[in-house]
Amino acid sequence: MNDTVIKFKNVTKKFSLLSQKTFKEFIPALIKGEETKKGFTALDDISFEIQKGETIGIIGPNGSGKSTILKLIAGVMSPTTGTVTTQGKISPLIELGAGMHPELTGRENIYLNGAILGLKRKDIDKNIENIIDFSEIREFINQPVKHYSSGMYMRLAFSIAIHVEPEILLVDEILAVGDTDFQAKCFKKMEEFKAAENVTTVFVSHSLGQVESFCTRVIYLNHHQILFDGDPSKAIQIYLADTENK
Amino acid sequence: MLAIVKEIKDVIKWRELLWQMTSREIKARYKQSILGYFWVILNPLAQMLVMSFAFSLILRIPTNAAGNIPYSIFLFVALLPWNLFANSLSSACGSLVSSSSLITKVYFPRSILVLSTIIAKIVDFLFANIVLIFYMVIYQIPINFNLLWIIPIFFIQQIFTLGLSLFFAAANLIYRDIQYLLSLGLLLWMYLTPIIYPADLVPSQYKIIFQLNPMAVIVNAYRQTILGGGVPNYTSFIIAFLLSLIVLILGLSYFKSREKLFADNI
Repeated sequence: MNDTVIKFKNVTKKFSLLSQKTFKEFIPALIKGEETKKGFTALDDISFEIQKGETIGIIGPNGSGKSTILKLIAGVMSPTTGTVTTQGKISPLIELGAGMHPELTGRENIYLNGAILGLKRKDIDKNIENIIDFSEIREFINQPVKHYSSGMYMRLAFSIAIHVEPEILLVDEILAVGDTDFQAKCFKKMEEFKAAENVTTVFVSHSLGQVESFCTRVIYLNHHQILFDGDPSKAIQIYLADTENK
Repeated sequence: MLAIVKEIKDVIKWRELLWQMTSREIKARYKQSILGYFWVILNPLAQMLVMSFAFSLILRIPTNAAGNIPYSIFLFVALLPWNLFANSLSSACGSLVSSSSLITKVYFPRSILVLSTIIAKIVDFLFANIVLIFYMVIYQIPINFNLLWIIPIFFIQQIFTLGLSLFFAAANLIYRDIQYLLSLGLLLWMYLTPIIYPADLVPSQYKIIFQLNPMAVIVNAYRQTILGGGVPNYTSFIIAFLLSLIVLILGLSYFKSREKLFADNI
């Protein structure tokens, strides 16, 4: 059995940013013969493999391509060249609450978000009580989420995402919000996933402490390339050394 | 053709999401308004009354088809499907842009965003038809089995709408001007479609424009079957069907070719 769940093979991601968003800017530029597209390389020929059950941290300065990697794994973006292959159900915890609709109630949003993450209605029916319990906002669950505080928003979104029974969990900086108690609860849940061994977690964070204590392997990205891949404390050491040298 | 089959399979796999997105669209829209869903009826009704006043009482446009049909019904039969078309197209055009936060985060077939807006508009359309039915009963418009023609006519209209919607939704993501261009286009298009006037008033040298305009054929076909109790003009009908199918194939292939870059372009 092949246990590789995520495989990047010579992946390059270039963005061709349109410099002009409207015709008003575009047409004069076209006439003047200016460049209408700006190239930008986010990832440059990157290869790595992630095995089932691993907990991977991705670190690196802003703009080094961390989020791009998550988006490529999530299938939201496609690589310019190279291939990205994934196996299993992906649950992105990237910027929670993207699928929430403010006018709908918490309960309605659970169904909506569940569907966005690919759940069937009966799966949600089965899990809805657990989701509400985990979020600890039962008394507000039948109110429109526009009345929620941002903490409540995030609790609900996190609860939904972890009840998808993910095989690949993508976590992007989310644990920066929410109170300490809930953060601890989230980490506990993620530790459970880690122990379960069939869940692969990819974790992007600027909090090196979190990465070091939580991950079993760390990929250090800089200048659009992988500079180190392996032991967490060593990766962090190299990263810190690089930052100081600047 | 193959692309259409593949897309249909994909959407069926994600039908739960399509259902949720559609009901989100319907539920959310009127939640804050006092009259709620009543607006879908009130809106075309008001439009119809004012237009009837302007075009029937002031401009005295004849209804032709049969002398005894009041202009307001004559107009309404065409106006409702046109509104469905125009509303579907303009909201579908913005559907990807307004869901940009989802597009950059989660994978699912993007066509669901376009489809769900269109389906929500169809629900509105069905409600708006209550007024028409009411009207037809009051004026005792005779109907017969030819009325069943509205099913294939409606089907063709949706093929055409979907094809254009896919194109405009994808294009609008790259250049936001497309939405303004579209609303201008729709305004002009409405006058080039026999909605406020009967198709037989069109001089014969311009008939070709109307034959190549699927919306003209569709609107006219609705009138012929609902008010005239007749059958649509087969030749025009088949041309409209083929054109709509071509538009859908082109629209979908453009959409699919851009789909991979949606997240990059937002």
